[in-house]
Amino acid sequence: MTMTLRRDHVAGGGFIVGGALILAVSGDLPFGTLASPGAGMLPKLVIGLMMAFGLIVLLRAGDSPPFAAVAWGDLPHGARVIALAAAAVALYVPLGFVATMSLLLFGLIYGVERKPLLNSALFSVGVTGLAYLLFNTLLKSPLPRGLWF
Amino acid sequence: MESTLDSLALGFSVALRPDVLLYAFIGCIVGTLVGVLPGIGPLAGISILLPITFGLDATKAIVMLAGIYYGSQYGGSTTSILMRIPGEASSVMTCIDGYAMAQKGRAGAALCIAAVGSFIAGTFGVIVLTVVAPPLASFALRFGPPEYVGLLVLGLIFLAYMSSTSLVRTLLMAAVGLLLGCIGIDVMSGHFRYSFDIKELGDGIGIVPVAVGLFGLGEILSTPSKSMTAKVIRPRLAELLPNRTEWRQAAMPIARGSVLGFLVGIVPGSAHIISSFLSYALEKRISRTPEEFGKGAVAGVAGPESANNSASTGAFVPMLALGLPTGPVTAVLMAALLIHGVPPGPQLVNEHPQVFWGFIASMYVGNLMLLALNLPLVGLFVSVLRIPYAYLYPLIIMFCIIGVYEVSHSVVDVWIMLIMGGVGYLLRKFDFDPAPLVLGLVIAPTFELSLRQSLVMSGGDWTIFFSRPIAATLFAICGVLLALSALSFLTRKDWRGKLAEVEEVGEKR
Repeated sequence: MTMTLRRDHVAGGGFIVGGALILAVSGDLPFGTLASPGAGMLPKLVIGLMMAFGLIVLLRAGDSPPFAAVAWGDLPHGARVIALAAAAVALYVPLGFVATMSLLLFGLIYGVERKPLLNSALFSVGVTGLAYLLFNTLLKSPLPRGLWF
Repeated sequence: MESTLDSLALGFSVALRPDVLLYAFIGCIVGTLVGVLPGIGPLAGISILLPITFGLDATKAIVMLAGIYYGSQYGGSTTSILMRIPGEASSVMTCIDGYAMAQKGRAGAALCIAAVGSFIAGTFGVIVLTVVAPPLASFALRFGPPEYVGLLVLGLIFLAYMSSTSLVRTLLMAAVGLLLGCIGIDVMSGHFRYSFDIKELGDGIGIVPVAVGLFGLGEILSTPSKSMTAKVIRPRLAELLPNRTEWRQAAMPIARGSVLGFLVGIVPGSAHIISSFLSYALEKRISRTPEEFGKGAVAGVAGPESANNSASTGAFVPMLALGLPTGPVTAVLMAALLIHGVPPGPQLVNEHPQVFWGFIASMYVGNLMLLALNLPLVGLFVSVLRIPYAYLYPLIIMFCIIGVYEVSHSVVDVWIMLIMGGVGYLLRKFDFDPAPLVLGLVIAPTFELSLRQSLVMSGGDWTIFFSRPIAATLFAICGVLLALSALSFLTRKDWRGKLAEVEEVGEKR
């Protein structure tokens, strides 16, 4: 008899393993006593609860769909979006708002969404310029200037 | 009552100031747009725009942000009726009969009924809020640390009980939120917790990066742009007014939805979503023509739309009177007040009467503005839907980054948002609702402080939570809710299943 790996097996197991890892790095936090609770009391109680709930999710996994049935069709798109956003965050302060955001928008619209080159470029630069005007000039909310602005 | 009216007069003197009116108007417009646009909900909208309010005083800030919240409830109905896409989660039920009415050529009437129902319910909610919140705040002044522990535990258990996913999954998410809330310096002992030598984490994890990541970015990651194409039914403005029969059919569902929505709204949980489901189920149950539901029943639009607006107002009662957020949106609004140096809770009405009453009065004005805006400008809002999603979501990502960075000018916050976006995506895949996580994060500092203060003041005697009448009552209610959940788990029958059945039937039609 083979056991089907189900969605909640993975989810419940993930929370148990995650809880155990966090507990392992919580060693230096004192639990204290009931009369004098330490900095580690609530975190350790909460980790215990998290692992217990994770265990219940795991034990009741039979009601959940097979893990193989979880639709991951949107993952490549999501991964591309998050990779470009991560690059933008890394460049945000060194390059500044205008350059980074123009590149991010262009990357998403032209690179990910395959929209026409000129439309993508004009939209990216135009919208970034408007956002810069709105936040930096009208709302006096300083944005990173970076190398050029 | 007289003092309430005097205070309300003070509130109107604040809310009717031209500058406050302007921010209420901006909030209503932005809220309607947030409601209209699929893929961006009120939570992401409020979180992204929170930094814009930093230059404003607390009254203008909360008036604008609250306008976004209840404005989104109005706007959510537009896409539901015209496109069969809920612009906002609470508008799911409106899709069923609203779109069916639109297909019959009654789109204008459905939009009008939704707007008028929203206005009546929103105004009803504000009137009850005006009457209920101040005495509740006076009562809450008797609360000490053990009562606050009881109240916060009750809030979490209520949230789990009312949640559309299972009790265990909700509590699991709340536990993750509480754990995230433990990051940073422990205020009682000075210990650094889970900061891994990143100095920015010393102050803890902010609500805004977490909320924007989970609800803004997370939503975008799980919404591929090619899936966002739909046919928009253009309403004929000449046919905006419902006929006499439709008004008659809408009257009682609006009244019932208003009362039901408010009652559900004051209970922690995704009240505005649950209230619309409950209202739809109630209207169908008591209808003389239940077979009409799913085919364009007026009550199927009027009831849920009124209920979700009333619920969004009801959710302000525990926030303003007790300092207890009932959901992620009120949690972010609470954070906004805290950022402006105004702690919500029992002291708010006495210490900041201008903010408290100005905010309440602005909701009367805001509801009127929304009614005036939504019908004549429906064509304009619909035209926003023509912006291709491929151009729209990069814009939202840009605003997410700006919004999070501007809170404390920290790139670490933006990285947290990005990580939370990935977490939000995974949580959706594994059928976890991220809302309790945000709630856990918000209440974590108060919960921990109250818990430890209670234990210290009792010398380590945990029975302090059951020996004081108010705390004991709150924990007794927690016990009853847990027992009810255990019962429904054993019998495998609870209200969630019934709601799912109602939704399923509607979807099939």
